[in-house]
Amino acid sequence: MSEVGAKPILQLRKICKKFGDFTAVNNINLEIGAGEFFTIVGPSGSGKTTLIRLLVGMDQPTDGDILLRDKRLNDVPANQRPTCMVFQSLALFPHKTVGENIEFSMKISGVDGAARKERANELMKQLRLPLEYYSKNVNQCSGGERQRIALARALAFDPQILFFDEPLASLDFRLRKTLEKELKDIHRETGKTFVYITHSLEEAMVMSDRIGIMRRGSIVQVGTPHEIYNRPRNKFVAQFMGEVNTLEVRRSGEASVCSTGDGQQFQVAGIPAEFQSGHLIIRPEAVKIGEAAQGLENTVRGKLFNSYSLGSRLQYQVRSTSGDSPWLVEMLQDEPYTGELDDEVVIGWRKEDSILVSD
Amino acid sequence: MSKWWKPGFLTALPVLLFLLVGFAGPLLMVLGYSLMPPKTFSLIQMPTLANFISIVKDSYYISFNWSLTLALTTVVLLLVICYPIAYGMAKLFGKWANLVTVLVAVPLLISENIRLFGWVLFLLKNGILDGSLKFLFDASAPSVLYSVPAIVLGLVYVYLPFMLFPLVIGLSMVPDTVKEAASDLGATRFQVFREIELPLAMPGVMIGCMLVFILALGSLAESKILGGQVVVMIADDIESAFTFAQNWPKGSALSALLILFSGTLVFYLFKKIDLDRILGRR
Amino acid sequence: MAGAHSTLAKRLIVLWTVAIIGFLYIPMVSVVLASFSRKRYFSFPINAWDTKWYEKAFQSLSVRELLTTSLNVAVLVTIFSVFLAFLGALAFARYDWKGRKLFQKVVLLPIFFPQAVLGLALLLWFSALGITTSWQTAVFAHMIWIVPIVTLIISIQVYSFDPALEEAAFDLGASRWQVLREVTLPILSPGLVSGSVFAFLLSWGNFPLSLFTTGADQTVPEWLYAKMVSGYTPMVPTLGSLTMGGAVLVVFGVYLMFMLRKWRRGGKDAGPAVESESGA
Repeated sequence: MSEVGAKPILQLRKICKKFGDFTAVNNINLEIGAGEFFTIVGPSGSGKTTLIRLLVGMDQPTDGDILLRDKRLNDVPANQRPTCMVFQSLALFPHKTVGENIEFSMKISGVDGAARKERANELMKQLRLPLEYYSKNVNQCSGGERQRIALARALAFDPQILFFDEPLASLDFRLRKTLEKELKDIHRETGKTFVYITHSLEEAMVMSDRIGIMRRGSIVQVGTPHEIYNRPRNKFVAQFMGEVNTLEVRRSGEASVCSTGDGQQFQVAGIPAEFQSGHLIIRPEAVKIGEAAQGLENTVRGKLFNSYSLGSRLQYQVRSTSGDSPWLVEMLQDEPYTGELDDEVVIGWRKEDSILVSD
Repeated sequence: MSKWWKPGFLTALPVLLFLLVGFAGPLLMVLGYSLMPPKTFSLIQMPTLANFISIVKDSYYISFNWSLTLALTTVVLLLVICYPIAYGMAKLFGKWANLVTVLVAVPLLISENIRLFGWVLFLLKNGILDGSLKFLFDASAPSVLYSVPAIVLGLVYVYLPFMLFPLVIGLSMVPDTVKEAASDLGATRFQVFREIELPLAMPGVMIGCMLVFILALGSLAESKILGGQVVVMIADDIESAFTFAQNWPKGSALSALLILFSGTLVFYLFKKIDLDRILGRR
Repeated sequence: MAGAHSTLAKRLIVLWTVAIIGFLYIPMVSVVLASFSRKRYFSFPINAWDTKWYEKAFQSLSVRELLTTSLNVAVLVTIFSVFLAFLGALAFARYDWKGRKLFQKVVLLPIFFPQAVLGLALLLWFSALGITTSWQTAVFAHMIWIVPIVTLIISIQVYSFDPALEEAAFDLGASRWQVLREVTLPILSPGLVSGSVFAFLLSWGNFPLSLFTTGADQTVPEWLYAKMVSGYTPMVPTLGSLTMGGAVLVVFGVYLMFMLRKWRRGGKDAGPAVESESGA
């Protein structure tokens, strides 16, 4: 696990949340550094929404402590915490204008009208909202504009930590990509701590300094995007990133070779001492086909039985002669494999691209 | 658009025609009679404002006053009584809310007369309240029957569902996340109520208040059965002008005033709310 | 929102709700109690219980006549109102047409109208048209107030009706009539049934409209009112209890019918699912 660079702003100690017999959040320990962009990723039902509700104070943990700058936060109600959340539904106040929405927290704390408006205009400028939107009804704004308003409203609160509960989930692909990058820019500009939850590891990769992967109420791995991608701790994390080739393997006699149940042997960069059996993961983009596979440490023979275009890349499905589940191979568009379907082919990968995980 | 215009209009037509004959017609008739000379029974005469002048001169303002006061009191009381229940039904009770709905709606389906009469039996000297107190504690209940508080009790009792159900609809239109967001941004519970909950539930609150106010304003049975004529409300005056005094134009003029007053309120209300949003919740 | 409500506040709200529901049923209980008292003049506690007033009521010809009149009115009101309101609800909630917003408001106007004044206005109207008032005119009068209410009730059901279902049936070759019979009516039937129950019982219990529009005929609520004002007779609580019993029976019967239907379908509710915004 990578260490927190700066001094931790938020510490979770043995956090649990139970609903009756059901444990939604199970013994989570986590430290988030000041100024960090930390993302919690997990499939739906993994408990990430429950976790974030505990962190902002909408719910109380059954067990454990939440510390903000070393001060226990458990019993502080949401309206007295110096943190703030951007909701999945955005929860914009439908009866208020854009300006009134942004100024809400300042109005609550008694900031006078002129100062409020000045700050609101500043934020609107920063978030690329046209200033004439100030007196527009929020219901008349587009999806992307509403995102920006929700973010401006949260920033106006000047929170020590800004939480995000999958706010981009309902947007179309292009807008989501734009906003992901904008969000990262704003993170850098404001220097605030962002804690983001999402079900999309891809989204997390784009924005985050560090990522925590959540499964069934527990955090299974914490690391930088690079670490998560290259050194997944287990099969769940590896598969969460997207389609991967998975083989059940165990340690063989030789130093950097593992073998499958039917005796195929594959080279890996190194086998950890404690490893006995587990899974060999090879990402489709690491697997080469045809000529490109020549001379690689690991090769498999098979028959090409399908090919798909993924836009910038081409994906091939190969059924190996030994009859495992079909192999996925991805090549860039500019180095396509030119063979026909049903051709006998060789696929292969470097031993550095073999990822060994225990479960 | 033109494709949908047809079935919409066609299905609306029967009801519209029915209301034209059964509602608009009689109302125009009332307005017409209100301009006829007093104590006449025909519409084919010179219009005159005599009825309205005599209403202003006479002491009718007393009964208007009573009606307004009682209706307003009823609205305020019901708002206080129903708000917590409506909140519970919209946010807390879950599936039990359906049971509460049924239990509150069933009395609506029983004749108002019988229910008010039940209150008479309850409040009567030697009635259920008085009798029980005497039997249990040897103390007698204060005699409330045939007094202004009894009328208020009757009004509150009869119109409770008309306040409760609109409030429930109004409060269930307030998304929990929006309230949470406000609280997250630092608002206290009271600030959340004032800034978020109340404004968002306002259509329901307004419908409830208007409905109760207007219905209470024109109520008749409560003051007759529970009030025993200690107070004359405007509907009493209208009824006796038509029946006892046989003065149709006077009765019509009083009705016209009541209709114009309520009508203005309803018009204002309808301008403010979008029924599709309230009923369809989509 | 588990954290935002203290259990105390929640308990107080539950307690208050129970108390108010109790309050709503005080008069009904009072009437039923009084109907079993032998004495001519009601006093409490009741020391002589008796069912003789019920026997008298069942034997009385005039009571039978009152019940018949009320029943005739209510049945006719129900049939006509549900028919008109069904069409009205489609215009109210189903179709997108130019005058819809206006139509919605026009239809709801009579609900906002004091019934006693409406009754008197109708009396004027009937006499101006030269129609002698009788129980038939009362049917018409009741409908002015009941059609809007039933339209509203059916509309709520229509709002949750997905027009794509009709289009799908049409697309599969059904005629307009078959679409109505096979798709629209069955799906809207819960709304139609609740509409009918309301129509029937609101007419059955109506007093202010009947008072001015039944002419020489008399419905049960009118008779009860006349007796209440002119002095107590034990027949008032007795007949009152009988009509209440009838109303409760109807409501309960329909409720059972719904439950049975739901149960037969394996507990799956036909209504739209309630979305919850919170929770993982």
